[in-house]
Amino acid sequence: MSYCVHCGVELDSTASFCPLCHTPVADPGQPVDTASPRPFPTQRGEVPPVSKVELALLITAMLASVAVCCGVLNLFLQAGRAWSLYVIGAALLLWLWLVPSLLARGMHLLLRLGVDVGAVLLYVYLISVNLNGRDWFLGLAAPLILWGGAALLLLGLVLLVYRRSVITTVTILIGSVGVFSLGVELLVDRWLYHAWSPSWSLVVLVVCVGLVIPLLVIRRVPSLREEARRRFHL
Amino acid sequence: MGGDRRTAGEWYTLDNAAVLYSALQTEKYSAIYRFSAVMDRPVDRAALQRAVDRTMPRFPTFGVRIKRGAFWYYFEPNRAPGPFVKEDISNPCQPVRFREDNGWLVRFYVYEKRISLEVFHAVSDGAGALVFFKTLLAVYLRELGYDIPNTHGILDVNEPPRPEEREDAYGRYATVRPRREKRGKRAYPNNGTAEPFYTFNVTIGFCPVSALKARAGARGASITEYLTAVLLKVLLDKQHREAPRKERPVALAIPINLRPWFPSDTLRNFILTARPAVDPALGSYTFEEVLSQVHHYLRLTISRQRMQAELSGNVRFTRNRLLQLVPIVLKNPVMSLGYKLAGVLPYSGTYTNPGPFPVPAEMAPHIQRMEVILGQATTPRPNCASMSYGDTMAITFAGTEAETDTEREFFRFLVRDGVPVKVESNRAR
Repeated sequence: MSYCVHCGVELDSTASFCPLCHTPVADPGQPVDTASPRPFPTQRGEVPPVSKVELALLITAMLASVAVCCGVLNLFLQAGRAWSLYVIGAALLLWLWLVPSLLARGMHLLLRLGVDVGAVLLYVYLISVNLNGRDWFLGLAAPLILWGGAALLLLGLVLLVYRRSVITTVTILIGSVGVFSLGVELLVDRWLYHAWSPSWSLVVLVVCVGLVIPLLVIRRVPSLREEARRRFHL
Repeated sequence: MGGDRRTAGEWYTLDNAAVLYSALQTEKYSAIYRFSAVMDRPVDRAALQRAVDRTMPRFPTFGVRIKRGAFWYYFEPNRAPGPFVKEDISNPCQPVRFREDNGWLVRFYVYEKRISLEVFHAVSDGAGALVFFKTLLAVYLRELGYDIPNTHGILDVNEPPRPEEREDAYGRYATVRPRREKRGKRAYPNNGTAEPFYTFNVTIGFCPVSALKARAGARGASITEYLTAVLLKVLLDKQHREAPRKERPVALAIPINLRPWFPSDTLRNFILTARPAVDPALGSYTFEEVLSQVHHYLRLTISRQRMQAELSGNVRFTRNRLLQLVPIVLKNPVMSLGYKLAGVLPYSGTYTNPGPFPVPAEMAPHIQRMEVILGQATTPRPNCASMSYGDTMAITFAGTEAETDTEREFFRFLVRDGVPVKVESNRAR
């Protein structure tokens, strides 16, 4: 019969530590009983995850039905223009956004973002096909979408990979907005003027840097950091 | 709600507590509780399965599956095979899946000498489940060859089920003008670090009922009031140690079984909760002051008139024509938000005491002790439940938080107050 030296409660003979304060049981006269059954089973039970296949099927059926109906209507209404591509593309976009994540549980973030960005690319591509806009699609839209996707991906990875404080998170978010706008202007300028003359994006960047500097200072100086934590309950 | 008007074998509507519990259902949370009986010898699993098979038909309200209608969930009799007795697991009270496991909402587990019954709260409350469990234990002991009489609340499994047992007692007593209770102030949340899913930490402390009665009686309180006050005091001190900028009130949800006030034989839900609270903004409290406050609060507020007005208000919600027309997919999120505002934020935890478990003298020597586990809360904080059998009171802290502060300080308090405690836990570290 062991008692916890800190809690004063009697412990089970099979307990090797106090479940209340984790103090190990060390009784030279009476070692821990490893032969008797423990008070609780050690085998863990896991309930199966909720199946989302039905929901995925329902969404698939609804979107496919919409796409088919509009495709058929296109044959009769303004048959010369492929306007139904907009609707079909939107249905495809929604399907790619919603269904893969329902079917594949715990889909990797990288893969999921890749699929989502791919879906946007595809939709914009369908629009460009309808408008004969191959030039602007390749020259402007695709690079912009890819740049946005890359920024989101990087942000997702940075925010998911390591534990960080609220201050660091805000710093990263504001900083990435600045960098993103710089890239947007670069791509737009390259398409319009074939030369890069940064103007508005520099303003955005400088504003972001201005916002970030105090946060960085607070993050780096321990006394300030503690003060912020205390004041804001972080 | 016309559940009691229909004959057995048909679908029936949920009572208003069940409506709430089923709306809270998510992938990682179900309102589940567990009763366990530790027998005098290892359990004969085959005999227990026979006992389950004989007992289930007598309790049609437990042999149901829950189905999703367009506007509400509903119960219908479950004719699938089962439920089957299973080997116990280290993490009790796992969420139910309405479509898995043949749709059973009750589960039976065996581990060494322990028989456990887990019930989804929409099916029944603790008092109803204890009638079922006691009858099951009696049938099990009869299967082992003992002669157990049908007294002390054991139902005769050879009789057909009575319609009164499946009535919606809330509906029957919702006859007065409803009164909206003011929502309690936001309380100290007592949240810890969440453990990963599939982890459920249970710590049970056993102490002699006589010692508890002596300590409570010396201060003119009942055991429930005493344990409630200990928990409140422990949480008050815990909040004070954490030194928040603003100390919030510490409040507990105490489920009250309504059957003593409103005669009913229902085996479905029939409970309300009381909210004893202590506000540290008014200053510090000694344990005696907390106890006195709990004692007087519970005696003052638990009155037939107040409770009837409150349950009428709850029933009015499910009878509201406009709300009835809202599809369930929209209703459920709103109800779970309402529960978060009115049922989670104003409370620091739940403490329930189903009380003693009287059994016939022929049955008594075969049961060593009874245990109760209140399933996980919607936030990572421990819930407390206690149950006594003979001279053993089992006080259980169970939750999905990693820390042990609440239960540690609680049991240390009892030990300092002169109540010997033995602790068992499923914690692996």
